[in-house]
Amino acid sequence: MRTPFAVMGLTITLLAGMSYAHGQRATEQFIPLGHSPGLSGRYTYIGQIASADAQQRTISVSQAGGSHTVKITDATRIWLDRSKLRQTALRGSFGDLKKGEKVEIKYQGNDREQPADWVKVEVVQR
Amino acid sequence: MVSCLRAPRSWRFRAYRLTGASLAAAWLLAGCQAPPPDPQAALIAKGRELFFNETFNGNGRTCGTCHPENNNFTIDPAFIAALPKNDPLFVAEFDPNLKQNFENPRLMREFGLILENLDGFDDLANKFVMRGVPHVLALRTSVGSDQGPRTGWSGDGAPGDRSLRSFAVGAVIQHFTKTLNRVAGVDFRLPADAELDALEAFMLSLGRQQELRLPLPLKGTVAKRGQEIFLDDRLGKCNICHSNAGATAVLGGKNVGNANFDTGIEALPDQPARLTGEKVPRDDGFGVPGDRTFNIAPLVEAADAGPFFHNNAIETIEGAVGFYDGESFNDSPAGRLLASMDPEGKGIELDGTQIVAIAAFLRIVNALENIRQSIDFLEQSARQGFFQRQESATLLGRALDETADSIRVLSGGGLHPQAVMHLKEAERLANEAGHSLFSRTRLARAAIREQQQARAQMIEQ
Repeated sequence: MRTPFAVMGLTITLLAGMSYAHGQRATEQFIPLGHSPGLSGRYTYIGQIASADAQQRTISVSQAGGSHTVKITDATRIWLDRSKLRQTALRGSFGDLKKGEKVEIKYQGNDREQPADWVKVEVVQR
Repeated sequence: MVSCLRAPRSWRFRAYRLTGASLAAAWLLAGCQAPPPDPQAALIAKGRELFFNETFNGNGRTCGTCHPENNNFTIDPAFIAALPKNDPLFVAEFDPNLKQNFENPRLMREFGLILENLDGFDDLANKFVMRGVPHVLALRTSVGSDQGPRTGWSGDGAPGDRSLRSFAVGAVIQHFTKTLNRVAGVDFRLPADAELDALEAFMLSLGRQQELRLPLPLKGTVAKRGQEIFLDDRLGKCNICHSNAGATAVLGGKNVGNANFDTGIEALPDQPARLTGEKVPRDDGFGVPGDRTFNIAPLVEAADAGPFFHNNAIETIEGAVGFYDGESFNDSPAGRLLASMDPEGKGIELDGTQIVAIAAFLRIVNALENIRQSIDFLEQSARQGFFQRQESATLLGRALDETADSIRVLSGGGLHPQAVMHLKEAERLANEAGHSLFSRTRLARAAIREQQQARAQMIEQ
């Protein structure tokens, strides 16, 4: 009797494991850059875009301590944080990742070697 | 000289009198001395204050709007019907900025459903789900999982680091906003770190702090059988995903914590909200796009916190148990998996008496938890000093709410009428305690004894 239940356990574990408990994506859009609870200042990377490579789908982001290249995929969500303009946040695209823009990047699995899970772009001019 | 001798005697006499008076005052006031400061208690108290009173500069709602303490931290149509028209829950009915695409007032009033934009805010008219309000009891036992914290109905309720602490941020953005622009600093303010700490501490303090250890030595014949079926991995199979009637799964001999499953709830025919003809998009559960899974809810707290499931699809606890005997569950990925592992290839097959027996068991564990909480509140009330009347009244009120739930849950299942009599007496005594000037403590203690006698009817001590 142990074997079937062990197999069942393993299978259900696999089933449950598919649902990695990532954060609720929807409301993250409206959290201003640098304020994501439990992430900002700990797991995210905040800096200015030094360059963007549309072909490679990468951006280079610089901080005081150096720079970092970030991979952008189709799954990466890009948001335009317009809270400083007192306007609603919008969904953006790779084209919104321009040199000089201040961005916050959250990596998949909080691993800097992984592509970006989301990127927030701070919009300060109309 | 004389004056020199008399003066000290007089001073000594006055000193004795003062000392005596001080001792007497100290003795009288002993009951109302503030306990030494407890940082965790202070944090929880701050969290309570925020939970019930802080609007975060939004539309007037607080966390307590949808999670009221006197209704098991959830809302249902009966509770909603008793609210005044201008309650902030109904903000979509009177605020022009929130009239469209913020709530569906009909589904809220008729079925207690709340609108959520879990798959994004880019198509408000079409991309939304209608969900019930989960209670926030026993969170300490139900949020953790091997894959990280799971909050809300589908395990993905929190933004940021997805923790319970971060949950309030998502709730403010979704439910507290003044307009659908949802601009921080304009339509609401985001909770500060210290506020999130306090809210988390408060939520974690609510309800059960640890799992039950089944089996319980139950006295009731039907509930005892219900417990056996619940624990039988080849019959009820309930304990696989609701270990000890909680919200954690034990898979392959290992407790994996809270977990998500596609149990086919969305496939149920004749779902009440959809019968209205109102737009109710299919809820795809966890993630974007969703994988149709929802996470396990704790069962100890279930019987008095219906309607059941993420969409409030079923009103009664018997109906909720019966769901697992139906086609929607047994044809679902979770149901098929259970069947494939069964030596006889069966999913969950229960007959009417067995469904009622499991429900009776769930009613009993719920009533026992309510009694535990009632006694706790009554004891706290009895410990309050003479002048701490407001605090005491609040605690008595909470005890009365729990007692009313116990009575309703047991009576609704035709269970333990003798226990119900003791609970009604406990209710009367607690009510009287709340109105008594000098006998509050004595009456609270008498109410505790009635609660204990009620418990003794249900379980071997």
